[in-house]
Amino acid sequence: MNILKKIQPLVGLATLIALAIGLWYVYQAPADFQQGGAVRILYIHVPSAKIALLSYLFLTAASILYLWKRYEGADILAEAAASVGAAFTVITLASGSIWGKPMWGTWWAWDARLTSMLVLLILYKGLMVLRHSLDDPVKGARATAILAIIGAVDLPIIHYSVVWWRTLHQPPSLATGENTAVHITGPLLPPLLILSVAFILLGLYMVTVKARQIEARRHLDALEAARMHHDE
Amino acid sequence: MFKAIYRIAWKDVAGDLRRRATLSSMLFFAISVLVVFQAAFEPDRKEALRLLPGLLWATTLFTTLVGLGRVFQAEEEDGAFEGLLLASVPRGVIFFGKWLGNLLLTLLVEFLILPLTMVLFNVDAWAHIPAILAILALGTLGLTGLGTLLAAMTRGARSRETLLALLLLPLTAPLLISGVQAVAAILATDGQVAPWLKLLVIFDVVYLAMTPWAFGWLVEE
Amino acid sequence: MNPAVTDATDQPVARLEGVRHRYGRHLVLAGVDLNVARGECVVLYGANGSGKSTLLALLSTRYAIREGAYHLDGLDVRHHGQEARERLLFVGHHTHLYGHLTSVENLLFFSDLRGLSVSEPQLRRALDTVGLAKAADKPVQWFSAGMRKRLALARMLLAQPLLLLLDEPYSALDTQGVNWLNAMLTDYLNQGGAVIMASHDPERVAVLHHRPHHLARGILTPLDTPRPEVA
Repeated sequence: MNILKKIQPLVGLATLIALAIGLWYVYQAPADFQQGGAVRILYIHVPSAKIALLSYLFLTAASILYLWKRYEGADILAEAAASVGAAFTVITLASGSIWGKPMWGTWWAWDARLTSMLVLLILYKGLMVLRHSLDDPVKGARATAILAIIGAVDLPIIHYSVVWWRTLHQPPSLATGENTAVHITGPLLPPLLILSVAFILLGLYMVTVKARQIEARRHLDALEAARMHHDE
Repeated sequence: MFKAIYRIAWKDVAGDLRRRATLSSMLFFAISVLVVFQAAFEPDRKEALRLLPGLLWATTLFTTLVGLGRVFQAEEEDGAFEGLLLASVPRGVIFFGKWLGNLLLTLLVEFLILPLTMVLFNVDAWAHIPAILAILALGTLGLTGLGTLLAAMTRGARSRETLLALLLLPLTAPLLISGVQAVAAILATDGQVAPWLKLLVIFDVVYLAMTPWAFGWLVEE
Repeated sequence: MNPAVTDATDQPVARLEGVRHRYGRHLVLAGVDLNVARGECVVLYGANGSGKSTLLALLSTRYAIREGAYHLDGLDVRHHGQEARERLLFVGHHTHLYGHLTSVENLLFFSDLRGLSVSEPQLRRALDTVGLAKAADKPVQWFSAGMRKRLALARMLLAQPLLLLLDEPYSALDTQGVNWLNAMLTDYLNQGGAVIMASHDPERVAVLHHRPHHLARGILTPLDTPRPEVA
């Protein structure tokens, strides 16, 4: 985990620069002729949604690595990615909801993407709770890793079933949410790309910080356990 | 191998019938859920017909949680779970045995709930009973598969049953959606059942292929 | 799997080499070597928390071997866990019995999960040998601790394991039970079986011809003579 300590300031600095450039662009960008100023929230919403999903991908890879090789570092990264992913999922849902109010007239429509995101959030929460519900941390880590993999297989099924559900069943008026959510072209594109990069860096930075914190806490727990054992 | 699967399932089902523990809890829980739905929505006959698919699946899902909460309870007795793991059969066989026992109990409850729901909600869909039961059974294969794995996962966890619900419900979203839509399509008579059945089968196949393997990883110490 | 029938080579029944085990970051076993041959009984002494139960759990395949090697009947247990489980029987603090099943049903359950084909008369004969003939068709939930132990040990007669692992086998047994168990173990050892047991009870083990070992600080050391242990 030494490498995290080394890269943390670099990633942090890069995040700061990318965010500054991206947000400046957003400030400069023209309002959308249809969506007005509300379109600006998409610059937060779309990259957040990307990070929410990327975190899960990262979490799955770390979980597989942990089950396979039993590197504790992989487990720490998985735990860190779960909280970071959950945070970005909340941002995605909140920003989607704020965008939806002027666009759809409601805070919440059972749009396929938003519904999948909500399920993703519950899944993240489940991963976090499961880990800490088992007294043996090794068992907790293994159970969480297995659940993460199950979830990774389930997420596409969830997504497609929700899409089918919204398109085959519901009247088309609401189902169009599928396309309007990311209707961004032309001059609006560069800030989105820059902000996406900035958010990826931000996600990495957050994982780094969180992983180091988890590592420190586990180290303390181990010391405490060793001391208890010594007293016995 | 099949003998071992059968013997584990037999042990669970026979144990349950002797103690009348899980089966009757599930059944009465299901009835309470139906009463809650009736009190909450007070549907008339036409509404009840529209609500029926959702009522059935929601009741099934909640009732399954009650059964799953107990799947590994019998194995807490005097280190029985450890005994299972020391058996000289593949871990997957142990998993399928536990799954089969839970599946049989859950199916039995579903078969009892369906006519009961129709009676309590005054729904006249008796002609569709075989088709609806088949859809329920199809969904239950994967549901109990995933559920048995999650029950093993939460064995010995704090506030185990809440955790089980938290883990199971989001993962079964596809099952709930396709199950409800399939039953609704049957009742509407002109609806499309095939795509939803396909989704149910995908769900079953994915979970019944994955869970025995995952169980093996889970119990390895 | 009758130990008397399988070929009697010089190959040890169980061989541990440099086995280490940790719980989290805490090292419980720090390199254990052990050889057990046919007809041999190894007794493990050691204070509570010295790792006896961990060592038995590793031998039983309940815990996976991560560092070091474990061969059972020439098989590398790391890759042949299932085959290893066919060759051993573990009777620990827990009896792994189901209260709602009768003695016969519990033994039937055990046999089916081990792939043994035993007839009902065979089951009843085993129950007779462990002194539970009268309780054959009674649900186990009302049994005393001693009866449960006897029933758990009846599995040994059915499975005829190559290696028998026992964790505190004398607990819950009265004097008569202890004598009965020692007679049964002597028989089993004479037939070429091997025993590894953890015990606090040198006096009760004394009847058996055995090799005592002491486990402390994660190291297993052979003892020259059985000596009283202060637990």
